[in-house]
Amino acid sequence: MGKSMLGRSVPGNSLLHRLDARVKFLSAILIMAATLSIRDIRVMGLFILWTGLLMAVSRIRPGIILRSIRPLLFIIIFAVILHLFTVDGHLLFEWGVLRVTREGLVSGFMTAMRLSLMVINSSLLLTLTTAPLAIADALESLLRPLAWLRFPVHEFAMMMSIALRFVPTLMDEADKIMKAQSSRGADYDTGGLLGRARGLVSILVPLFISSFRRADDLAVAMDARCYSGEEGRTRLYTASLNKQDYAFLFAALVLLTLVILSRTLLSPLSGMMVAGLGL
Amino acid sequence: MIEFRNVSFTYGAMQGQRPVAAVRNLSLAIPRGSHVTLIGRNGSGKSTAARLMNGLLLPDEGQVLLDGMSTSDDDSIYEIRRRCAMVFQNPDNQIIGNTVRDDIAFGPANLGLSRETILERVEKSLEMTGLAGMGDRQPHELSGGQKQKLAIASALAMEPDYLVLDEATSMLDPAARQDIMDLVLELKKKRDLTIIQITHHMEEALMADHVYVISGGGIAFDGTPAEVFDQVERVREEGMAVPSHLEIARSLAKRLGQSYNREKILSFEGALEFVRQLLGNPGPLSGEVAVCPAEALLSGEEVIRVEDLSYAYDTSWGKPIAALENVSLTVSRGEILGIAGHTGSGKSTLIQHLNGLIPARPGTVEVLGRDLSDRKVIREIRREVGLLFQYPEDQLFEETVARDIAFAPLQQKRSPEEVERMVLRAARRLDIEDILDRSPFELSGGQRRRAAIAGILAAEPEIVILDEPAAGLDPEGRDLLFTDLMTLASEGATLIIVSHDMEVLTRLADRILIMKEGKNAGLGTPGQITASAAFLEEAHLDMPAPRRFLEEMAAFLPGLDTCYFSADGAVRALLAAGGVSRG
Repeated sequence: MGKSMLGRSVPGNSLLHRLDARVKFLSAILIMAATLSIRDIRVMGLFILWTGLLMAVSRIRPGIILRSIRPLLFIIIFAVILHLFTVDGHLLFEWGVLRVTREGLVSGFMTAMRLSLMVINSSLLLTLTTAPLAIADALESLLRPLAWLRFPVHEFAMMMSIALRFVPTLMDEADKIMKAQSSRGADYDTGGLLGRARGLVSILVPLFISSFRRADDLAVAMDARCYSGEEGRTRLYTASLNKQDYAFLFAALVLLTLVILSRTLLSPLSGMMVAGLGL
Repeated sequence: MIEFRNVSFTYGAMQGQRPVAAVRNLSLAIPRGSHVTLIGRNGSGKSTAARLMNGLLLPDEGQVLLDGMSTSDDDSIYEIRRRCAMVFQNPDNQIIGNTVRDDIAFGPANLGLSRETILERVEKSLEMTGLAGMGDRQPHELSGGQKQKLAIASALAMEPDYLVLDEATSMLDPAARQDIMDLVLELKKKRDLTIIQITHHMEEALMADHVYVISGGGIAFDGTPAEVFDQVERVREEGMAVPSHLEIARSLAKRLGQSYNREKILSFEGALEFVRQLLGNPGPLSGEVAVCPAEALLSGEEVIRVEDLSYAYDTSWGKPIAALENVSLTVSRGEILGIAGHTGSGKSTLIQHLNGLIPARPGTVEVLGRDLSDRKVIREIRREVGLLFQYPEDQLFEETVARDIAFAPLQQKRSPEEVERMVLRAARRLDIEDILDRSPFELSGGQRRRAAIAGILAAEPEIVILDEPAAGLDPEGRDLLFTDLMTLASEGATLIIVSHDMEVLTRLADRILIMKEGKNAGLGTPGQITASAAFLEEAHLDMPAPRRFLEEMAAFLPGLDTCYFSADGAVRALLAAGGVSRG
């Protein structure tokens, strides 16, 4: 069983599910840029509210949404610790060489939120609510200008979509081959570096060969269904944008503008107020 | 109409490899509205012929015409492919879309139809194949049978006139296979489809109007199913088998010097009716019925002991799924144990516990008297338990067959002389000594299967577990493989064979374990396990045809011993009982 979250959308019919994939793609980029630019803790509060709203609108169980942070959890914790102990400022407590300051605490919190909100927003907009093929179609549409530079836009998008389709299949296959070789006495847990590398060969070679065979089969199956490249092909997911699409894109733009303006217009809070708001 | 005019096709002719002629001077004509079956050995050229039909391959010589259009004509190739849709063998390798809906839409989108038309066709195809409401599912959430239904739905969305099924049921269990066949026959009627089917299942061939027996890239012989399967010797020469009921009726008539109507005995019921009349049909009688032996003759020395074993899979959406529930069993030294059950019944999960691939929690697994809860024990016990996965040829990876077979002995740090001896011994067992120096990747499917099995036997395990060892092999290849496995058993190895094929299991096994929804639904001799048709049906398994035949006859022949699982045995039993009732 593939346990990856890759390419695993949660079916539904919420506003987020219905938005055009191109709009979601662009908004995700705008929102990511906005999240990374937040400096002020009040703006961060606003962003947490926005994300909460988005989560509610998606009607997906919060547990499933929050799970998307998991792959980045280690990096987030690492970044927080780094900030916690390295930022100078008003000393809160000291333990040996480790000094924790109020500024460090705030800055750690901001980093954690920045990363988490970025992941939550992008997975809410893309992986969780959008079918992979729709993402591939959107990508193809957005990259269209590159076709002028002879970039094979359609082929690239088709490749992405097929790769996504086969992630769970290949994970099952890898699992099966590993078990088969273990049954023949292969040991992947112990042994030196050389032994492990050798062990890897007994998994990777069959996996490659079966992938080639699958690719062959798939190419034949695509031919049999009249595939002849991009020309004359109907794109299923690129309908024209409606009011909701424009409104959402506008909201994302407004958010980004607000964040950028706040960097120059908003006066920094005094240390005491930071402590009051942040803790 | 699909027409082949003196068609030849050779693989590798272009790429400078050793050319292999797959189709030789083949001529045939398949009229619209017919149902045609192609049978023949693995590698006889059936699949190549199928791929020539819609221009996936182009003939080197001769011409292939579909409704008068030549497949070699670039202008008509897409119209030909639209009219002649195809379903392939491997369910996973023909799904292109990331969801059921996307996949069905792929073909129509290639035709450049409007978005509305495409979505309309998607819904229609979903409904026709019984997949309504599953449009948003992702391929890996479907069962094998559902995946093949999806492949058929995707083909239907092209609104084809011809449907080619290239061993489309060979990777499915009996229930799913029956499902797909029912669907195909229904579609043929409703949509006036022409069906071209390639299969190793002789029962499927009986449903056709016309059967072609393909051999060496050409037609060995052909005719209606009745005509073809009446030529028993020729059918066997081509590596195929004759369905049991046909064989029972035929040999019985021959032994008694009677003539028979070959059309009539084509169906199971027809054959039954015929045999009833042949043996004098004394009518329903009450009499003693012979009872199958209640106990298998076992050594009594326990080599595997499983107690209260349960197992649940984790799923990404939260709820774990129970795969095994409180399974207990013991296996004796030298025994052949069959394990049968529908897909998802827990068979594969159970055998993966027997060499510690899955730790026993909760429950106990003891092999050769040692508890597998200890990791060190597991490493040692894997030498004694050879476990063969389904489609084991997928695990081959070395440059030569010999080196691949040597993998297990080398892992055991044996001396070079010993490794060589073990490789040779395993190769000899499976009759593949002549291909030891070749690359596994240039062999035929059957040879690769044998090489993979040799790779398990090389470690000389005391217990050999095989998961569907004959899947995808033609009837002859299957029989030869099981003969070799029987030899292994007669030399003292303990065998566990997992299979859907009750006919094979009842003939070979001392005892059979029936798995159903993760539970041990019954364990007993083949006779006990097949005593109740309802029991097997509940487990989604087929009653072996010879036994079913005898059971149906038992009401009319007092004293008939119904405990036979081969056509030969059934004929003997019928003759014996028939003689008694007349005398």
